Amino acid sequence: MQLNRRSLLTTALTLGAMRAFPGLSYAQARPLVFATFTGSWEEAHKAVLVPAFRKATNNAAIVLDPMLSVDQIAKINAAKASPPIDVMLHDPGPALVAIGQDLAAPYPVDKSAHYKDLIPVAQEAMGPAPFFQVVGLTYNPETVKTPPTSWADLWNPAFKGRVGITNLNSTLGTGFLVEIARMHGGSEKDVSAGFAAFDKLKPNLAAVAANPGALATLFQQGQIDISPGNFNAIQILKARGVPVEFVAPKEGAIAFKTTIHIVKNAPNAELAFKLIEAALSPDVQTELMNSPYLIVPTNAKVKMAGEIAKVLASSHADMQKKFVFQDWATINQQRAAWIERFNREIKL
Amino acid sequence: MSARSDLRLALPLALVFLVLFVAPLGMLLTLSLRGADGGIGLAQYVKFLGDFFSLGVLGGTLWLGVKVTLLCLLLGYPLAWLYVRAPAWARGPMMLAILLPLLTSVVVRTFAWIVILGRQGIINETLIGLGLTATPLKLLYTDAGLVVALAQVQMPLMVLPLVTALFRVDPNLADASAILGAGAWRGFWRVQLPLTLPGIIAGCLLTYAGAITAFITQSLVGGGQMLFMPGYLYQQASTLQDWPFAAAISVIFLVAVLAVVSVFNTLGRLSRGYAQD
Repeated sequence: MQLNRRSLLTTALTLGAMRAFPGLSYAQARPLVFATFTGSWEEAHKAVLVPAFRKATNNAAIVLDPMLSVDQIAKINAAKASPPIDVMLHDPGPALVAIGQDLAAPYPVDKSAHYKDLIPVAQEAMGPAPFFQVVGLTYNPETVKTPPTSWADLWNPAFKGRVGITNLNSTLGTGFLVEIARMHGGSEKDVSAGFAAFDKLKPNLAAVAANPGALATLFQQGQIDISPGNFNAIQILKARGVPVEFVAPKEGAIAFKTTIHIVKNAPNAELAFKLIEAALSPDVQTELMNSPYLIVPTNAKVKMAGEIAKVLASSHADMQKKFVFQDWATINQQRAAWIERFNREIKL
Repeated sequence: MSARSDLRLALPLALVFLVLFVAPLGMLLTLSLRGADGGIGLAQYVKFLGDFFSLGVLGGTLWLGVKVTLLCLLLGYPLAWLYVRAPAWARGPMMLAILLPLLTSVVVRTFAWIVILGRQGIINETLIGLGLTATPLKLLYTDAGLVVALAQVQMPLMVLPLVTALFRVDPNLADASAILGAGAWRGFWRVQLPLTLPGIIAGCLLTYAGAITAFITQSLVGGGQMLFMPGYLYQQASTLQDWPFAAAISVIFLVAVLAVVSVFNTLGRLSRGYAQD
């Protein structure tokens, strides 16, 4: 081959293109792509779940591609026949959307070694729940001397201008609205009682955050003293020295299932199954339950221990009693209308 | 080089624009015409334009841009003036200070404002320390706080065109106006300001466009109950997956912004004529 400028340039461009679009070079055998969530989820999965998966598959290639549920849905929708993601992770609302849009493959329950060990609420044939997220009350122990015990404490006049909530864009915000509606006689079908209660909360509201992450910032800045909050997020803040405590209200902490799904038409369906099996296994769930991850396990063989046993529930039986689960199929039907209403009514 | 080959040089860029900008815009337009029932029509636009709440969000966003732009101009003009008149050794550090906001990520800048405006932030601590207020003022998640934070974030976009415009003004003109009997203010209003109008308009245009689309700053400093067009769009597209309505919101926002931009542009064209007279 003659080396001239043109052939060198062509070679360089081709090599460059291969680097820029790695999909070209291994379109046939790309690694397993797992769309986890950003932040603490990614850290936990990288540290515990990925090594367990590698061990189980003799070092199969895996890539974590952290993104929000809604982005996972959009990406898969854009290429349904050959999805760029093999395994997706979802909060309850988006999970139902993904299943409704026919993006998830049924989980091979018969082949699974761990599925039957999951507690009944976690057994979902379209994608089991390896973890729970738990929402309770968060408060600043330096300014709130008597720990709150009930959601109703947020309405206590002592907290005038000290309460933070999030808008309904997040699972947390929507779940909180439903729970407050239930407390006042409403349900997933009818949350007007919740909106009425939100209206009465206004004098106490210091902030309506745009997302749950912003609530953490507000605690750090002393902008709020009490709010609904996610157990894991609070533990992370606490570990970083922010004065926050989590307490499960007596009405029950709200539990959201985080479900994991094999994407329909995924090129790596077999490896995807193995990853999910690892996520359901007692070993991985035990490790993720311990500090610093503190992720609530769903496998009944895992014995509750540590901070989770202390603050949330001592066993899975105890958990079933103490946790409140919500009907997201019903919630999803009206969520758009609630968001509209929240936009209009909650002005400070 | 002939005019034809000049055009050919622009071809690659034109192609990139066509594929990456015009085509998606066309898709967006098509998407926005899809009704909730799947039919084709203007239903999404009717939904937005027939709703006072949505119109309020649009109006609030455009008004926010006006406030930020005015504040930027008010603070930016003296800064640019100082820079142009500063001795050469001072210009380096000054330019660094002016550009600094552009060199840090917008997320970092926004978080800095959360620290400044918070209840235990610098402003409140100072006010309490001076005994000017007993309880911390609410600054974060307020309209005023958002305007100030956005103004700082967008400031370089205002100052840089102003600096360029001020450098173009012949310093002799100020002397000439003084000799002819104009006081400092009159010289400024009648000579300096008109000559720098193109810079002012360019700066305003950039700050305005930046301020109304600043999704991160709007949501972090403004909070979840203050809804502006970018947040509204995100909510509809991402949380609610209502892409047709989100597309219609984008198109309406785009048209509204283009209208404002064309007003600025017309002013710019007029001012160029004015500046040359």
